[in-house]
Amino acid sequence: MIFRRRKTRDSIDVNRVIPPEGVPLNLNISGVGVRLGAQITDIIITTITAVALVVLLWALDATEPDTLMAIGALLFFVIRIPYYVISEITWYGQTLGKRFLKIKVVSHNGGTLTTHSIVLRNLMKEAEIFLPGTLLITLDQTTPVYSWLALGWVVCVLLVPVLDRHRRRLGDMIAGTHVIHLPEPVLLSDLASDNRSREKHFAFLAHHLDHYGIFELQTLEDVLRSVERRHLSPQAYRNRQNTIKTIVEKIRGKISYADAVMETDYIQFLSDFYNAQRAHLEQRQLFGDRRQDKHHNTTNDQK
Amino acid sequence: MEQSDVLRSARFRQEREADWKRLETLVSTAEKSGVQRMGFAAARDLAALYRQATTSLAIAREISLDKALLDYLEALTARAYLSVYAPQERVGSVFNRFFRASAPQAMRRSALYILAGFVCMGLGVLVGYLLYFENAAWYYVFMPPEMAGGRGPDASTEFLRSVIYDDDPEASGLGAFATYLFSHNTRIAIFVFGLGAFLCFPAVLLTFYNGLILGGFFALHVDRGLGVDLGGWLSVHGVTELSAICIACGGGLMLGVAVPFPGQRSRAEALRHAGRDAVKLALVAALMLIVAAALEGFARQLIQDSGTRYIVGWGVGFLWLLWFTLSGRTAK
Repeated sequence: MIFRRRKTRDSIDVNRVIPPEGVPLNLNISGVGVRLGAQITDIIITTITAVALVVLLWALDATEPDTLMAIGALLFFVIRIPYYVISEITWYGQTLGKRFLKIKVVSHNGGTLTTHSIVLRNLMKEAEIFLPGTLLITLDQTTPVYSWLALGWVVCVLLVPVLDRHRRRLGDMIAGTHVIHLPEPVLLSDLASDNRSREKHFAFLAHHLDHYGIFELQTLEDVLRSVERRHLSPQAYRNRQNTIKTIVEKIRGKISYADAVMETDYIQFLSDFYNAQRAHLEQRQLFGDRRQDKHHNTTNDQK
Repeated sequence: MEQSDVLRSARFRQEREADWKRLETLVSTAEKSGVQRMGFAAARDLAALYRQATTSLAIAREISLDKALLDYLEALTARAYLSVYAPQERVGSVFNRFFRASAPQAMRRSALYILAGFVCMGLGVLVGYLLYFENAAWYYVFMPPEMAGGRGPDASTEFLRSVIYDDDPEASGLGAFATYLFSHNTRIAIFVFGLGAFLCFPAVLLTFYNGLILGGFFALHVDRGLGVDLGGWLSVHGVTELSAICIACGGGLMLGVAVPFPGQRSRAEALRHAGRDAVKLALVAALMLIVAAALEGFARQLIQDSGTRYIVGWGVGFLWLLWFTLSGRTAK
């Protein structure tokens, strides 16, 4: 129990970034898998571009084979550090791969992402992954020691973000950055001011509203939003009707609501209850009584 | 319906929703085309509306239990935060600042570490040189055979001379050997820098080893009476290239020293602070390596006269020194 509580508190802290305005924001840390995906996308994009360019030059017969090789070698360097640095500067902390997967580099302390951090984290990428990686590929059977060393190095470096709470690479740690998922702002309608809630059929008294907390309220919100979804199959529709019936009966039992509710009025009942409950809880919260869930009475007694 | 009938939090939302929607469009234009290309009014509104949205978020967390609203505001504010505090610099101005001020300043600040890098390399050269004269077989111990290109104690003096003074400059304009050496030394430089970040020791060792190779190589040619010629051959690009390795070593040492000796800072903080200059040293080293590769690819084949080779090599080295010492000084 204690262990679980600590874990949840940590997970809130990890995703929290405090901008200079001082209002904490939740920016979800992106996992190792997503970042690896972005990295691989970048590698594929840059390699294809470089190969295409060389093939184009070759097809146009523009240069001699020797020079072509030199251009190829030069491109091989350009598509590494310079590509990552320049793309992250121009696209504010996103390379092409990161743009595809909707992740972004942010400053770890919530300030501005500086050019210095971008350069540093990408330079370290070279030392961390690319060099040992290429070594691993290019080395052959004759030098197993170096191969194992390189492999061990790569494994250690890949383990660092797995073990770190913020999923940072070594380069991220030194540069003071981490990578987050871009949040998508979608504004849904307010249930408390839509048409259904304007005509109130059911009245609730104060003792009806003392049972539930925020968690139940927001679960009810989700249910009400799912009701708005149409185009269901007959089977799914029947299932939903059953669920709603169960919920209404549960709520009526819990708050000991005496009046009967017609089957056609179920949604109206839930909507009215949502409004009344939300008004009640918001008012309690203004007076410093924040009710997290339906156990709010028991936990208060224990304290 | 009466205004007072609506929930307080619903009224809160109704009053501000238009501003949030405007912020949302501003954020998406900022993300697409960049803050620099936005008009004055749009940029001003973005900053102002962002700050309003943070306030709204703080209030909403206190007064509203509407999950949809909280999630939306949370995401919107975060998105706006990311565009408002995005790096506001163009690639061009970054380059400009690097070359005119920050790189030479960083070089001057970390002169001692770079000196240490040169000492590592110098000691390596000295040891390699002396070891060769003690017993020529040492040459095979520290010289990787694929790098020597057939140049060893067994090779004839004529062969050694023919490599230094290429008789057929066209054939190896940008041949495989040049490319290999380029990537070898680049790799060494990056390794030296990267290893330094974790421990000084491997960086020092690697620089020393590189010096060792160089010393043995030099001794071989001195032994055959080709010392001056090899000096010219190496000078063309070597002054730049070997300095780059030493500078990279200096940068690595800076990072390595920060971990065991953080001073008043925490270790992570000290490492981050050292990184500010070290990364500039690494960039300077990378730039020098590219120049060295160009010198190696073109100048060394074109210039066959030993004297001119010395002049070109050390002249370029002198130019580097001028950049490091004179550029980016602010008037006091």
